[in-house]
Amino acid sequence: MTGDGRAAPARLTGFAFVAPFLALYVFLLIVPLVMGIAISFHRADLFGTRRWAGLDNYARLATDPVFHQSLGNTFALTLLIVPVLTAITLALALALNRPARSAAVFRGIFFSSSVLSVTIVTLIWRFVLTPDGGLAAKLLTAFGYAPLPFLSDPALTIPAIAITTIWWCLGLPMMLFLAGLQQIPHDLYEAAALDGARGWTVFRRVTLPSLRGTLVTVVMLQTAGQLQLFGQAQLLTGGGPGGASRPVVLFIYEVAFGRWELGYATAAAQVLFVLVLALTGLQYWLVARREPVR
Amino acid sequence: MSSPGASLVLDQVRKAYGATQVLDGVSLTMAANEFVAFLGPSGSGKSTLLRIIAGLESLDGGEVRLGERRIDGLAPGDRDVAMVFQHYALYPHMSVRDNMAFGLRNAKVPAGEIATRIAGAAKSLEIEALLDRKPGQLSGGQRQRVAIGRAIIKNPALFLLDEPLSNLDAALRNRTRVELAQLRQRTDAAFIMVTHDQAEAMTLADRIVVMNDRRIQQVGTPMEIYARPANSFVARFVGTPAMTLAAGTATTDADGFAQVRLGDGSVVATRVPFAHLGNDTNVQLGLRPEQVACVAPGDTGVQAEAILVERLGDRSFVYARLADGQDIIAHDGGGCGVRIGDRIGMRIDGAAAAVFGSDGTAHHADAAP
Amino acid sequence: MSRGADRLSVPALIGLLIGAGIMVAPLVWTLLLSLKSNAELLRDSASAFSVPYTADNYRAIFAGSLVPRWLLNSSIVALGTTAGVLVLCSLAGYGFARFEFPFRRTLFAFVVVGLAIPEQAVILPRHQLFAWLGLHNSYPGLILPGLVAPFGVLFMTQYIRAIPRELDEAAMLDGASRLKLFLTVLLPLTIPAQATLGVFTFLGAWNDYWWPLISATTSDRYTLTVGLASSQMNYAQTSGLGFLMAQAVFASVPILVVYVLFQKQIVRAMAGTAVR
Repeated sequence: MTGDGRAAPARLTGFAFVAPFLALYVFLLIVPLVMGIAISFHRADLFGTRRWAGLDNYARLATDPVFHQSLGNTFALTLLIVPVLTAITLALALALNRPARSAAVFRGIFFSSSVLSVTIVTLIWRFVLTPDGGLAAKLLTAFGYAPLPFLSDPALTIPAIAITTIWWCLGLPMMLFLAGLQQIPHDLYEAAALDGARGWTVFRRVTLPSLRGTLVTVVMLQTAGQLQLFGQAQLLTGGGPGGASRPVVLFIYEVAFGRWELGYATAAAQVLFVLVLALTGLQYWLVARREPVR
Repeated sequence: MSSPGASLVLDQVRKAYGATQVLDGVSLTMAANEFVAFLGPSGSGKSTLLRIIAGLESLDGGEVRLGERRIDGLAPGDRDVAMVFQHYALYPHMSVRDNMAFGLRNAKVPAGEIATRIAGAAKSLEIEALLDRKPGQLSGGQRQRVAIGRAIIKNPALFLLDEPLSNLDAALRNRTRVELAQLRQRTDAAFIMVTHDQAEAMTLADRIVVMNDRRIQQVGTPMEIYARPANSFVARFVGTPAMTLAAGTATTDADGFAQVRLGDGSVVATRVPFAHLGNDTNVQLGLRPEQVACVAPGDTGVQAEAILVERLGDRSFVYARLADGQDIIAHDGGGCGVRIGDRIGMRIDGAAAAVFGSDGTAHHADAAP
Repeated sequence: MSRGADRLSVPALIGLLIGAGIMVAPLVWTLLLSLKSNAELLRDSASAFSVPYTADNYRAIFAGSLVPRWLLNSSIVALGTTAGVLVLCSLAGYGFARFEFPFRRTLFAFVVVGLAIPEQAVILPRHQLFAWLGLHNSYPGLILPGLVAPFGVLFMTQYIRAIPRELDEAAMLDGASRLKLFLTVLLPLTIPAQATLGVFTFLGAWNDYWWPLISATTSDRYTLTVGLASSQMNYAQTSGLGFLMAQAVFASVPILVVYVLFQKQIVRAMAGTAVR
């Protein structure tokens, strides 16, 4: 459209601007993606040995109880974290969507944990949760209860990781909901008020339908994120006890860097990749099917 | 930079976007220091033509020459043209001074000379006090003047004005119109203005290029365009209210002039030589409101029913409907007493009327000797 | 602002205060622990609630620990990634937004697809690739993967598209080349977008864990994130709880400073994700 001459070099000027990014994009994302698919069909170790294995790795995954356990853990974590996180952050956004100074302070507090790295978060929470002198233990003792072994009881490790994750991840969805609320035209509320709608009805009939797009975004982003949960589990419980809190990514890490079975780990990574795409795609489809999100 | 004899020549300029032809063999020659307006509805190709001259669009065929040089292959900055954009296009992050200096700095004009030129332009446009402000701090009219200043300072051979008045309110528009007219007097450059506003074109331009449907429809002085439109498109597009085009059948009178029988049976004698029509007798009679007088209804002459009266104070326009449903606009005095629904008579002066053939081509009376 | 002027109801306010308490308590707890001597904490961690407090643990960080080194590494990696992303995404955004070239639409769609590729799908092969190239335990090895930011390209493309094309055209008529008009006219106008994308990238690079964990394997190449992880895992053998917590606090400070300074951009980045 903005023709500045018909010569071939001018037609390629634009290409020169996008080329540096594209080169890195291909080299660092597309090439590894293809390599990953290829490696998953090989018996390969971390040091370069390769032997064609066909579907062996995938067949092994299908019968590996450790992998199955990690899949179960990942689903459990995702199912625990995503709904709770979504509900809490929506409530927070509704409460804090006002211009008052105090609301800004609260927003700052609830967002602040999001800027910390996973290592700091787990460091903090380890010494909150540890029964041996942690803050939670101190509080429980103060109220006359026995300290709970959050980090070593198989029934408690997954909730402990979930609590830590929710504490860490509140900021982004809250901000997304706040941004979504800001987009709702004010006259919708005025119309609802004129129709005599109040409180819960306004929320059900006006706020929630208007937030549908944001809700889908939050749930999809969180599902994709929590299916890939890694650092919290590795650092808080090490996946233990007995693999009771080992998520899929930790399984991949351990297989690749503990047992050096690169081919097997890569196959597991492909399974996870497909899972992430399928589940987020399914969520999008379920919503978009009824009416376009945007 | 500008040479006094510089003039723009467009030779068979063609442009297409994919399969869509937007300019189809456009040719035009401008005299030095001429002010030409490109007038036409949106989509007529007038903006594309301006952008081709500026170098913002490439052409698919033909030539653009300015003075002695062929410019259609040159970069926009090397063409010796300056443009005033519709939305001003001032650089928001630069002061007014830097906005004006940007082009000269790119052209490696010495700093001292840039300062002199800015001072001169700022003085003539009365924007000296604004030189250190940013565009965001200026009113619409001030921005417009800065945009003009940025063009003036380059001292180009040709100014390109893209709908320069369309974003201004009525008062500012008049003021800017005066400023453009004065600017035009001060420089020996040529001007091209793109507009869809005929009043603007009629006021400012030496010649108007009426464009429609990828082609130039007519090139002429404002009065030529108004009085002797080349075809029915130009006839309807120029003039407010629009010219009435009444369908009828042409026959010849004793003197060899065409007379047109309208649908209701009334006959209007024109001064258009019947021979000009060839054998094409299914015509449209073109009548400006000033050629149709509103008179008292009577037994003879054209009878009609008033359907709208537009009162302008010093004069009125009566929109009336003939018995066969044909609408005609007539003029009357400011004190016109006609009401909607009244029966009126009309006196049609066919001496200056035009006759349009079935292909839309206009036939006029021979020019007075 | 829905019902913006309304005051919070009392139950809502109580809920918020409890929530804020849960947010802040672990941070305060960490801060208190970091200010206690390790010996005292070994007897009873509840001593964190009472005097005496000491800055010994912080002194220990500077006296011969690797933490300052990790801080330097993190700074280099995060700043390098940010600078690289801004340059690459601005250039690509300009190219996609303002030029017509063969396969432009296809290439743009190709970049958008990248948004859907999770890190898990590429991290192991990328580790292999970098091993072959000898890039592990080096700054380029830590920075390069972060430079692939499809979101940034999308963001800059959309931002530049929203700038009126008339400005480009005015600059061209003013004799500026495409590169010069990019540098002198468009780039200054994208500063808000640069700030948003920059802060977003900086936070991501600073906090990244998975990649530096497997790429930086010698302790002097650790970033702060990986270094703290190693301290955490070796906790039993190291010099104690207070020292560990001092490291956590120390590592939080730079990022909290960035957060406070760039709060506006961070919020805008979040909102941008939603509006997209």
